[in-house]
Amino acid sequence: MLNQSTSDTLDRLLGLSPQSQTYATRREREKVLAATQASEDGLFDPVLPGLSEVDRLYVALYACILTPSPELAAEYESRLTQLNANLQTIHCIQNSEILLLGNTRLEAMLNFTHTLITKPINADKMALSALPKAGLSIPEVVTLAQLISFVSYQVRLAAGLRAMQALELS
Amino acid sequence: MSSPIHINGFTNDTLGWKAWLDVVQLAQATPAQMSVLEESHPKAKESDYYLFLVHQPEILRQRSLAFNAIMYAPGGLSRAERELASTVVSKINGCVYCASVHAQRFEQLAKRQDVIEQVFEEPHGAGTSDRERAIVDFSIELTLNPDHVNASSIQKLKDAGLQNSEILDLIHSIAIFAWANRLMLNLGEPIFPSV
Repeated sequence: MLNQSTSDTLDRLLGLSPQSQTYATRREREKVLAATQASEDGLFDPVLPGLSEVDRLYVALYACILTPSPELAAEYESRLTQLNANLQTIHCIQNSEILLLGNTRLEAMLNFTHTLITKPINADKMALSALPKAGLSIPEVVTLAQLISFVSYQVRLAAGLRAMQALELS
Repeated sequence: MSSPIHINGFTNDTLGWKAWLDVVQLAQATPAQMSVLEESHPKAKESDYYLFLVHQPEILRQRSLAFNAIMYAPGGLSRAERELASTVVSKINGCVYCASVHAQRFEQLAKRQDVIEQVFEEPHGAGTSDRERAIVDFSIELTLNPDHVNASSIQKLKDAGLQNSEILDLIHSIAIFAWANRLMLNLGEPIFPSV
């Protein structure tokens, strides 16, 4: 049940191998490792009802660009490309040109992403109510909030692990 | 004994929290939703927070597994130090609700509240020892500037006496509050006790 290590996104992106001390330290917290990967797998599950997989990846890409987390931005961009996502949309997100998208629903999702990533204290009742107004159902709002919040966690975990690995190799 | 703290809008009072959009009504919850609520928190069925998040039960299940493993697992970084990191992150992000809960947990575990007062006053430089200051500094840095964290950030923690397993627990405790604060701040608001 915990035997998911071969498909662990952060090990792969950070190049953590079983020979590394940081890799071994992570294995002391197998439940965290498993729940982190399972959260990612659940949030990007292609058959999750509601927000499309491509829309979820656009949100993750934008969150990583704003943070910034180049390695995770590249990861989500690559998944978008594999799904034949719209290259113009990817380009607009990479340049923070959200108003050029011409898609009210996606714009609302990305505006919410911007607030949560850059200034979470500013995301008030009005910011949240913009989502149902743009046509999102309540379960879709929950998915979106969990997705952006998960990516906030993932980028910091990646940054911390990268720094541990850098010290180990120095 | 804990005494009341009210500094810069932050407190160790027990607060409530209400969702801004409709929560799942228990009477209408599916068996899957009920089982996730039961796994997530002893009081999840009375909590707007869990009743809102359970609109997506499988995502809540994995979040709760991660959260509980990070905050409650034995060994590694002391639970009080995990709570301190969570309180610092919550103060930096402006989450009054999360800060109140985790300030209380720190006080219960550490039997003191001096550092919590310092964090609510000004997180930068807070801490009653070199070790605490290192934990607080790193919590601020990873929260505000994750792209700036590097080998020397980790070396400072080691110099303050933290082992690798403690550093990983610290990273987890900081990162999970990037997640938790965003949900609490953006899906509802704290309810303050009536005076």
